[in-house]
Amino acid sequence: MSGTDVILVTGAGGVGKTTIAAALAVAAAAGGVRTLVVTVDPARRLADALGVGELGNQPLQVADVPGLWGAMLDVAASWEAIVHRHADPDIGDRLLDNPYFRAIADRFPAAQAYAAGEQMAEYVESHAWDLVIVDTPPAAGGIDFILAPGQMRELVGGRLLRWITGARLPARRTLFNVAARPALRLADNVLGGPLLAEIAEFLLDLRNLYDGMLVRSRSVERHLKAAQTVIVTNASPTPMSETRRFFTELPNGAVTPSVIVFNRELPHAWEGIAPPPRQPDIGAADWDALTHNLERWSAEAEHTAAARESLAARYGIPLASVPWMLDPPTDIPSLVELVRSAEGLTDVLLPNLPAT
Amino acid sequence: MGARLPQLAFPAVFERRLLIVSGKGGVGKSAVAASVALAAAQAGKRVLAMGMVDGLGLGLHLGVEELHHDPIRTTAGVMAATIDRPRALDEYLKLQLRVPKAAPTKQLTKALAVLVETAPAIREVVSMGKPIYEAGLPDWDLVVIDAPPLGQLISYLRAPVTLEGLLPRGIVQRQATFMRRFLASPMRSGLVLVTIPEELPIVETIQSLDQLANEPLIDLALVVANRVLPELDVDPNVIGSVENDDLRLAAMRHQTLFAHQQYWLDALDGAKVLPNLFGLLTPGEVSARLSSVWNVSE
Repeated sequence: MSGTDVILVTGAGGVGKTTIAAALAVAAAAGGVRTLVVTVDPARRLADALGVGELGNQPLQVADVPGLWGAMLDVAASWEAIVHRHADPDIGDRLLDNPYFRAIADRFPAAQAYAAGEQMAEYVESHAWDLVIVDTPPAAGGIDFILAPGQMRELVGGRLLRWITGARLPARRTLFNVAARPALRLADNVLGGPLLAEIAEFLLDLRNLYDGMLVRSRSVERHLKAAQTVIVTNASPTPMSETRRFFTELPNGAVTPSVIVFNRELPHAWEGIAPPPRQPDIGAADWDALTHNLERWSAEAEHTAAARESLAARYGIPLASVPWMLDPPTDIPSLVELVRSAEGLTDVLLPNLPAT
Repeated sequence: MGARLPQLAFPAVFERRLLIVSGKGGVGKSAVAASVALAAAQAGKRVLAMGMVDGLGLGLHLGVEELHHDPIRTTAGVMAATIDRPRALDEYLKLQLRVPKAAPTKQLTKALAVLVETAPAIREVVSMGKPIYEAGLPDWDLVVIDAPPLGQLISYLRAPVTLEGLLPRGIVQRQATFMRRFLASPMRSGLVLVTIPEELPIVETIQSLDQLANEPLIDLALVVANRVLPELDVDPNVIGSVENDDLRLAAMRHQTLFAHQQYWLDALDGAKVLPNLFGLLTPGEVSARLSSVWNVSE
């Protein structure tokens, strides 16, 4: 038994990550792989189709697909979960009531991504599944999910505290002296309130999370590194630049994407297609409108082809394409149809599935 | 679930000094912000376009590799910049708070950097203060901001109010009051909310409008529906009779998407419609074409 495999499905918001994650999960389960798909997507229809509409972190079995479980993470409660897991009880409660904590929590989206990562590690280490497929949080974009554990260690590890105090881990009693320094007094004078001493006090409490989080965050990173990463994209500028960030901004070896999926692709036959000769029973005005329409979508198909080729040439990663469907998939049969019509998807990610 | 948009007749969008362009990620916010700046510049206005959290998308759409804290002139005649927070903080201290030159700057800067990262509202006030400061200068007729999605932007817009409550007195508190009033004044500032006619972006836009109605931090200048398909005016029976598969499928695809878009557009009565642009266009071409849709004197 080789343990639990992980597939991370990442990409910019709106590209269809959740659909791809769900389709892969359905395909894996149908091939006899015990699969858990974890989603955070707020779009309800697909979650409803999987029967995970009302879920929390507790996985539930999907009714129509044997061997498939679904969970929908409650990322809103993520900071609370992290604090309760890693801080001493009294310090944890004090932290959660602190106004500075609220401010940090609101503006640090890595916490959401990190909480999802910890949850993922728990699922993997439970050994209850052969495969865990994670649909990464939309707020975390692509690579932020992978960088989150390190960023969280930085934050709670006292980087800000060191800036104020100059010491690696000051004792609580030294904070008063620190706050009495002329520069810091001047800062408080400028601001009109004794903020810095309060902040130092708060940061010292935050430091209390560090030891617990150190171990946990390393194991989250280990699972991320071992995972197969899928980048879902399309030819629009935002998804394309999110995709490039994987190759330009990640430290070497942090993660190697397995495949880039172009979702909702137009038929490749439309690239550079010439309009057919006029059909005699259709009026000239209608025919012009129809051929002009085909030309427009042909231009769009060429745009996508150029985007696809630029990524392939630059990064040498396998590309998969999922064709555009008239109706977006919202139930199990349409997810099965999506996998069937996709090129280069399951053969890369799920090579051991029996052919159907 | 239709949401009637407020009356947008007065004051006109382009009469304001500060336009903040926001919307869900991936709806073309930067392209729209750049097109607004280009249209105003073509009409003879002196325009500063600023990327609020980064200048990446805005720069691309203005045909510039990289934006910096100091404004640069783009080929289209728009001045463009991004907000570098340490520099903005520095300017804020010197220009607005008039911190004495003799202060032990290095230690002070370090302490304030922690403050900016930690204390509620300080970071947001510094980032928001820069465009408001610029919009108040006689150098510009219009400052256009490429802002983060509204979920994040709200905490920036709310920051002056938060800070007023946090600090009982002093110059920072007075600055915060000034900023709150500048943002809330329809004569000076306006929000341009960009969306596309699809389920999630429209639902989120309606939620944003409700939130702004309950918490009027800034006047809504305009809702923009981006990437709207033109109508394909051919009878469905005729489309069904087309023998060539590609021609018929392209028409069916278009009709399906068009109907879907119109359904979601109906929920946003009164939005300004920007056309979908087909094909191989660079970001610079996209914003240039979109800029021709704006009527600056409207």
